[in-house]
Amino acid sequence: MRILEKLKKLDRRIIYLLVFLSILIPFLPGMDFLVFPVSTSKETETIFNYIEGLEKGDAIHVDWAFDPSVKAELMPFFKAFFRHCMKKELRVFIYYATINGINLGKEAVAKITSENEFSHLKEGVDYIHMEWVPLQPGIMIFNMMTDYKNTFKKEGVIFEGIETLNDIKYVLGLSGSGWHITWIDMQIRFGYKMGLAVTAVMGPDFIPYTQTGQLYGLSYGLRGAAEYELMVSEKYDRDYYDTATRGMSSLTLSHLVIFGFVIIGNIVYFIEQKNRRI
Amino acid sequence: MKKELPILMGLIVGILWYSEFFIAGIFYENMKLFFANGFRIAGVVGVMVGIYSVARQNYAKIKYNNERYYSILRVTMILLMIFLGTKRGMSPGTPFSSMFMNVYVPFQATVFSLLSFYIASAAYRSFKAKSVESAVLLIASIFVMLGKIPLGEAMWSKIPVISEWIMDAPSSAGRRAIIFGGYLGTITMMIRIFFGLERSHLSE
Repeated sequence: MRILEKLKKLDRRIIYLLVFLSILIPFLPGMDFLVFPVSTSKETETIFNYIEGLEKGDAIHVDWAFDPSVKAELMPFFKAFFRHCMKKELRVFIYYATINGINLGKEAVAKITSENEFSHLKEGVDYIHMEWVPLQPGIMIFNMMTDYKNTFKKEGVIFEGIETLNDIKYVLGLSGSGWHITWIDMQIRFGYKMGLAVTAVMGPDFIPYTQTGQLYGLSYGLRGAAEYELMVSEKYDRDYYDTATRGMSSLTLSHLVIFGFVIIGNIVYFIEQKNRRI
Repeated sequence: MKKELPILMGLIVGILWYSEFFIAGIFYENMKLFFANGFRIAGVVGVMVGIYSVARQNYAKIKYNNERYYSILRVTMILLMIFLGTKRGMSPGTPFSSMFMNVYVPFQATVFSLLSFYIASAAYRSFKAKSVESAVLLIASIFVMLGKIPLGEAMWSKIPVISEWIMDAPSSAGRRAIIFGGYLGTITMMIRIFFGLERSHLSE
């Protein structure tokens, strides 16, 4: 009975400590046995296969709508996606929908282009960071469709043949919120092809749109990023595994700790109910 | 007139934007550009209002409040970032970018990451099979969570299949109902604003 009481009034700091350790331990050296193979989902495969099917020089538009709070989940996906686009020699236009994302994006791209394999890439030729404009997505899409204020009609090699959003082969949205709902609503009207990479908690909100065909590909959470890293690594037979793959073991262990607590919580509840009836 | 004019403007602009979806033409193209410019100007003015609001609030706190040290720190950091940004630019490798990546990013990421600790504590205390409905929810959530971690697949190959079905069928159906409800509500609100029945946006 004393154990039951102790468990019932378990100090939350013990829970916090165990969750902290479960996240930390898998990152320590020698913990490779905690890494389990990841299988790919059909939604993430859709993005990968579409990019894989594009021709050299085709244009991709990245709508970057996340800030540092969800960096851990979305940054690994962007890195894997960007590497994939660069391997395919596609042109990538990165538009920042949030001001807090600009430096995140620029630093991420600078890090990738500092790698030997991608050191030949040049801003304005292979990729470009677009300006941030204080506009709602609906108005921004109208701007891009009409190229009002010259969103795309600028001087530079990368803009050749790109006049409006119609010339973009694929739009990838990155966000930890419902920001891209407007993009999806407008997709019916303008017909651009788009996919999303969102946080795990936002994933279920967007699944209905993959079923209606409005979204062509969806990756959510760290799992989606790990899947993309796996697909790019396998396709090009190189080690493109990054933080998402490493983080999967941490995710596994922390989930197990939460399961453990849920199970203990329920056992305590049922024993308590039984005692009360007696 | 103070009330009637905004309502009339709401009606005209609302009908113009709504009909734009059905009718094409140079008039509508120009209208879109006009409003796009207007929204952009409003956005910039909004940023200016934000800067003024932050400055005013912090000035009052520094002058009268006991928590003035937080405000001093906040204003100092804002001014420092403005100084670094204007002096050396904001591209990677500059002091502004270093401050952003090494101070702001870890702070914001940490605040969001704290959620995992609260979720674990909340799950332990309240995620219990108290009724049939909560038991169904509990079982479904365990399958979905197991389906999202590689260990789930290693335990039983059918776990990802069950997890995917839960996400694609019952969860998606519920989400669709919410989406439909939301859009019907939006249409209703739109009509109410058109005809001046809804005036909460006019501070009434």
